[in-house]
Amino acid sequence: MASILVPEIPAPGFSFENCQRNAFLEQKGFPAPKATKTGTTIVGIIYADGVILGADTRATENTVVSDKNCQKIHYLAGNMYCCGAGTAADTEMTTQTVASQLELQRLHTGRTVPVATAATLLKRMLFRYQGHIGAALVLGGVDRTGPHIYCIYPHGSVDKLPYATMGSGSLAAMAVFEARWKPDMNEEEGKKLVRDAIAAGIFNDLGSGSNVDLCVIRTTGPAQYLRTYEEANIKGKKQGSYRYPLGTTAVLKQRIIPLEVESVTVRPVQPMEVEASVSS
Amino acid sequence: MSILAYNGGAVVAMKGKDCVAIATDKRYGIQAQTISANFPKVFQMGPTLYVGLPGLATDTQTVYQRLKFRMNLYELKENRIMRPNTFSAMLSNLLYERRFGPYFIEPVVAGLDPIDNKPYVCNMDLIGCPNEPEDFVVSGTCTDQLYGMCEALWEPNLSPDELFETISQALVNAADRDAISGWGAVVYIIEKDKITEKHVKTRMD
Amino acid sequence: MAASVVDTYADPNMSWMNAPHSTGTSIMACEFDGGVVIGADSRTTTGAYIANRVTDKLTRITDHIYCCRSGSAADTQAIADIVTYHLNFHRMELGEPPLVQTAAAIFRELCYNYRDSLVAGILVAGWDKKKGGQIYSVPIGGMVQRQAVSIGGSGSSYVYGYVDANFKPNMSKEEAKKFVTNTLTLAMLRDGSSGGVVRLGVITETGVERLVILGDQLPKFYEG
Repeated sequence: MASILVPEIPAPGFSFENCQRNAFLEQKGFPAPKATKTGTTIVGIIYADGVILGADTRATENTVVSDKNCQKIHYLAGNMYCCGAGTAADTEMTTQTVASQLELQRLHTGRTVPVATAATLLKRMLFRYQGHIGAALVLGGVDRTGPHIYCIYPHGSVDKLPYATMGSGSLAAMAVFEARWKPDMNEEEGKKLVRDAIAAGIFNDLGSGSNVDLCVIRTTGPAQYLRTYEEANIKGKKQGSYRYPLGTTAVLKQRIIPLEVESVTVRPVQPMEVEASVSS
Repeated sequence: MSILAYNGGAVVAMKGKDCVAIATDKRYGIQAQTISANFPKVFQMGPTLYVGLPGLATDTQTVYQRLKFRMNLYELKENRIMRPNTFSAMLSNLLYERRFGPYFIEPVVAGLDPIDNKPYVCNMDLIGCPNEPEDFVVSGTCTDQLYGMCEALWEPNLSPDELFETISQALVNAADRDAISGWGAVVYIIEKDKITEKHVKTRMD
Repeated sequence: MAASVVDTYADPNMSWMNAPHSTGTSIMACEFDGGVVIGADSRTTTGAYIANRVTDKLTRITDHIYCCRSGSAADTQAIADIVTYHLNFHRMELGEPPLVQTAAAIFRELCYNYRDSLVAGILVAGWDKKKGGQIYSVPIGGMVQRQAVSIGGSGSSYVYGYVDANFKPNMSKEEAKKFVTNTLTLAMLRDGSSGGVVRLGVITETGVERLVILGDQLPKFYEG
């Protein structure tokens, strides 16, 4: 029996307890603020021996760049990754939820989870929330049936394609793909093409910017996450310093809290042996 | 007007060399009317872990209480203190739970990792999308000014004393161009063997 | 109430995300002597942007039953998945392939019960032992009607006349394929939200035969 002093452990899933209050505030002229959107360029292609995913690294809140180097290629399993565009929190949380479900599935079956399973879990989740979870995803991975790229939209529709782009820079990136993509490219060609597609987004779309992240997933081996594959925009080196001399700031009062430094030992848990999520 | 600017306030956190700092103003107001010049928005959550919760004041307090509750449960269950990145994940989940009816706060987390003593800063949007940069994070009603100040002043490997000057000047000068932030400021410099809390002199208008 | 708060997250600058995915389509199904021919264009649109130019709108339900999807891509894919699930289960209990009529009934049930939240116009086509080749049209709103020939999607309004003028009962397979290809080509020419290639499926007692007619192999018509 829950009381005020002993709060109940909250039920899992979304909580709607603030909705009535927030609707009231909105009615009084205080609309809910915007969440971070990733005006984004994300892409994925199939090449001769696997898939390559690419993303820019800019996150925006309206016109302010809120993160200059964010990660948009999310881990799902050893054999698949997922690029996210749209509401940043939604892409982050949706992929985390599905990653955990996939890991449980892998431990349960003792097999590498197929990419189609991830696509199904994602589309079911997004369809259930009827587009209110604003996640637009490019899912890429390999399994025993070969390489796969899926495009998953916020309303829960899925396209299975050999090359895909999403986000506000998708038009710029698709222009590059439509001109230059061909079947069975080698890895060097593939990486170059994906880099160029992301660069097209970075330089031609205001919502996309900063660096190029790549992720190469080969049918033969483990995925290779190439964080900051290319720094497309290097900040000019500071020629001077605005450092203030010590004592510039007037301090009214000061308190020093000494800390006892103690060492903590955490015993690591040995992982149990199952087939790795990397396809063999 | 945004509900995030109903009470006013600003928080900034910065990384230094083996240290990290978090600073906040002290104002609490209702739109243009200042009510208090001693309103805590930054809370100590562990020996070297602080969180700032600027935004709607009612949610500042509610979220702090819920965080403290979940953190106590964690520490009782695990018998160890929480690392900053774990804390961020917990806060992120707490906020995302309210995805369709959010708390109107944009939190800042600053701390030293108790395992490897690495500095850690993080901020989030109101539904818990984490952002963990290499330099500094800002939040509150004068983020535009703070971004400008921090981009100009911050440089890598600042010592605790230098970090104090940098973060204080960034906050004080940013808040001076915001009508609903200011009225005093507090800076916490977090090092592995001590925390220094300094109350900074600012304009009171 | 809650929805009004949530809606404020919708960023008007991001129409690519909020615009409904795929509405314009041309789909068709036609009975012939021994089975049915189904066909569709391959265009998926998000506003004015072609999100997929090689879409397959002919979706397998069972070996002998397919559906042609028009309307919201998300809704029709989800419905097709659910019907597939039900019919697989039904098949196991029945011990023999389900009837086309049964598939149509499940489509209708879903489309009718959720008529306020779905945008889905579906043609259910297939072959079964009881009635041979059949086509059932399940338009928006959740009605069901058996037809010898049926067209759907935004492109269909341009070709009703052509279909009425040229349809003959008990055509041969080749005649039916030609008829469907011509109709869809004409629809794609006039309808901006239809285009790409023509995808065909021929369902007979032996199963399905899939064909693609690429853009440069489509029949030529007057292009003024």
